[in-house]
Amino acid sequence: MVTTTFIQQALWALNSAGEVFLLTLLVVRKNYRSYPAFSFYVFVDLTMGATALLSYRIWGFDSATAYRIAWGTHGMVLFARALAVAEVCRHVLSRYRGVWALTWRILLLCSALVLSYSILAARHDWRLALPSADRGLELSIATVIVVLLLFARYYDVKGELVVRSLAIGFCLYSCFAVLNNTLLERLLYDYSVFWNMLGMFTFLASLSLWTWALRKPQFQPEPGEILLPRGVYQSLTPEINLRLRLLNEQLSRFWPAEAKHS
Amino acid sequence: MSPFFYFFFGFVAVLLVLLIWSLRSPKKQAHSSLDAVGFQGSDRRHATYLSQIHRALAPADLEFLASRGSAKLARRVRKQRRRIALLYLSSVQEDFQKLLRLARVIAVLSPEVGAAQEFERLWLGVQFSSHCRMIRIRLFCGFATLPQLSGLSQMASGFAVRMETAIAELGERAALATELTSSLESRGVRPR
Repeated sequence: MVTTTFIQQALWALNSAGEVFLLTLLVVRKNYRSYPAFSFYVFVDLTMGATALLSYRIWGFDSATAYRIAWGTHGMVLFARALAVAEVCRHVLSRYRGVWALTWRILLLCSALVLSYSILAARHDWRLALPSADRGLELSIATVIVVLLLFARYYDVKGELVVRSLAIGFCLYSCFAVLNNTLLERLLYDYSVFWNMLGMFTFLASLSLWTWALRKPQFQPEPGEILLPRGVYQSLTPEINLRLRLLNEQLSRFWPAEAKHS
Repeated sequence: MSPFFYFFFGFVAVLLVLLIWSLRSPKKQAHSSLDAVGFQGSDRRHATYLSQIHRALAPADLEFLASRGSAKLARRVRKQRRRIALLYLSSVQEDFQKLLRLARVIAVLSPEVGAAQEFERLWLGVQFSSHCRMIRIRLFCGFATLPQLSGLSQMASGFAVRMETAIAELGERAALATELTSSLESRGVRPR
């Protein structure tokens, strides 16, 4: 048990040091200008971690006050993470105004659906209400990132390496948090120590990826992109879709005939 | 164990698979750009070959060879012609994909896109690929007949011609093609 506690503390210290280093890097390389929400997230995570640690020291690890503070700070971190993920989404697609207008609505819808389903699917145990809500939010975040990257691939939009690294870090962390919370729900207290430790370990992995991605200064994208005239899409897209529809109809007509033939 | 327990694991597994797939580098393709010249030329070339493909797949030739020559020769010729037909199908498919890419580029560079149009095209694209795959399987097994191929070819080339006409009507086809290609490169969009 002593070993587990030691590993937990060491991981906590390592994560905090990593966050301080990343924040310094963001400031020194002036990357906070390009990624203000991400910088805010790292800052919030660091300060909330310190707040939780302080509350454990004052009220003890098993006290109700410390529990409330820990989950309260976690909620704030999640909120900051959601902002950072929104920033990542904006970096990937917002330059393409038309597609972005479509994408953000779909992303919002996806996250709302996943969150609702996750909460409905949770075991309705009051002790697990917060981990269940946390899992729902993490699953929403992971879904948003994956849908965003699918959109980017579909439209052949290649995002910058930094943005993709941030997205991967968020997605992997959120996926792991979902699995971790699901196991916690099943195994309850037997798993709580490992739950905490594995969560910190995953965060360390994401933190390393982000630090590597942000090691160099990033340039802000040029505003005011030149887009095609409004009429181009309206005149060409229905034409393309009509042709595709006709093709599919023609192919569908062949199938029954072919089936009879063979 | 409740089904929800497995649901979360399954969902995460699906997300991870999709994440890896979305980050994968796209396949290298023969035509690497959406230039107007390449766009114009290839469709017409494939359409011109249609009569040859028609002849290659006609059963009369094979029947003649089987009756006058040997069965082995007929089999060999059928195999070779099937290979040619498969290559032809690939070319038509490639043309179609190129046109789809052009449509996507137009969407990316447009200030407004219609959700219905985008989803319809996505769905039709999925249908087209699955149909092509099935025709390919049938062709490979020796079941497919000409109408399937000619239908595909006419559709793809007709589609290209109408697209060209539409672009020409805008009176800036060449400028648009150049603009598209350069915009793609400057914005990090990969013209494949």
